[in-house]
Amino acid sequence: MDLLIQFLTNTGYYLADYRHVIMLIVGTTFIYLGTAKEYEPLLLVPIGFGILVGNVPFFKGFGLGIYEANSVLHYLYFGVTTGLYPSIVFLGLGAMTDFSSLLARPSLMLLGAAAQMGIFFTLLGALALGFLPKEAASIAIIGGADGPTSIFLTAKLAPHLIGPIAIAAYSYMALIPVIQPPIMRLLTSRQERLIRMPELRDVSKKERIIFPAVGVILCCFLAPASIPLLGMFFFGNFLKECGVTERLAQTARTAIIDTATILLGLTVGASTQGDVFLTGKSIGIFFLGAVAFSIATASGVIFAKIMNLFLKEKINPLLGAAGVSAVPGSAREVHLVGQKEDPNNFLLMHAMACNSSGVIGSAICAGILWSFMVVL
Amino acid sequence: MYGLQAISANNGWAMALAGALIVFSGLIVLSLAIAQLHKLLNIFEKKGDRAGALPVCSDELPAKIVKPGELLTDLAALAETYRPLTAELDEAFPLADLYEQALRNDLPHPHLSIKTLRDERFLIAQGDGLFTWQPGENV
Repeated sequence: MDLLIQFLTNTGYYLADYRHVIMLIVGTTFIYLGTAKEYEPLLLVPIGFGILVGNVPFFKGFGLGIYEANSVLHYLYFGVTTGLYPSIVFLGLGAMTDFSSLLARPSLMLLGAAAQMGIFFTLLGALALGFLPKEAASIAIIGGADGPTSIFLTAKLAPHLIGPIAIAAYSYMALIPVIQPPIMRLLTSRQERLIRMPELRDVSKKERIIFPAVGVILCCFLAPASIPLLGMFFFGNFLKECGVTERLAQTARTAIIDTATILLGLTVGASTQGDVFLTGKSIGIFFLGAVAFSIATASGVIFAKIMNLFLKEKINPLLGAAGVSAVPGSAREVHLVGQKEDPNNFLLMHAMACNSSGVIGSAICAGILWSFMVVL
Repeated sequence: MYGLQAISANNGWAMALAGALIVFSGLIVLSLAIAQLHKLLNIFEKKGDRAGALPVCSDELPAKIVKPGELLTDLAALAETYRPLTAELDEAFPLADLYEQALRNDLPHPHLSIKTLRDERFLIAQGDGLFTWQPGENV
């Protein structure tokens, strides 16, 4: 009888409290949004299921939990805390990115730079709300709209906030179709939205091969702390473009990135426990995340309008919103908003140029912020 | 500590300004570099073309200068131009080798020229993918 009672007191039913229940509801909601609504399913499903797995109550000391040494989840979580999974994801991203549109019109890179202003405004906002500098930097990178970059920097600077920051980042990435269009319409006139972009020139194979080599040297020399991300990103792209390693590129953009995404999502979700997630800080993080995305979108659009003051051939200012590096969601939204005004206006290729430069820009920002925090 | 005081105490203004300037300048430099990339590649390719297109100084080549457009209509001149290219090849040679020699010597329309020579029976098939010149063709 004592044995039975002891067993029952070790079950999750006995150990559960309201925080576990709330987190299980959060996890279920994410799974629902990912599966039924198809909002970023590749991210929300692993994260949602990870939240379920990580918030099952258990008796501490059995080596079960993600924060307990020698547990399976703890070993898998290693890839998050060391920044391994985000680097591997960037390898796969590089292997699937086509920089042709960016190479054909390099000036669009400036819109990717402008959209990163959301990061620095959010940094100020997070400091103003009382977050510590390293926490503020981790929250600010949400404005880069890049999940792996957010997780990478947070793992380095504020690992205790990985859960809420990752969930905020991916949630807002899934909400791009809700966040961006109103801001784009508010900041542009109908005439500006009707601007058609000229056809892009053909880009030679040599340019596409040389670009990742030039990119990695120029970007990593400027911000060496971004080597784990941009080094892998440009390497993946070189594998794709050089033409002699197609097998490696294919593996990088399929099996490797999928494996890293599964483990990243699952362990990030499992690390999101009630005692960290259900706090005032999380509310602040979610609020700042929304601010970050909004300011990033607005910065890109406004900078495009500023560029038009000096350009003879105007660019469609909607493209500035594509500088937010939620690939390819923000590029798709820009294209759709443009098409609503003019169904024959095809902005997608130009928007992808801004999108891919946004990925580079957000990784550079992560390197810069990491460098600043090391000095502090 | 909250608000503007917190930002100033943590060096927030400097970090935001410096960070923005660094990322902007980095991407400006990268965009300038890739803007020049295709121009540099065009220059290198043109230099390479000029270096490769050296005139062939050979006694076997005809002294008569034939304009590119004339080659295809003047079959005798065409054969006269192509025959010396096979001097270093075997008596029976694959057409691919003749084509390669034509490319090296920068002759115009090599594919069409060789096809014309073959159709007009200046080049005779010997089987196994080998060809010889029609006997009696003079240089």
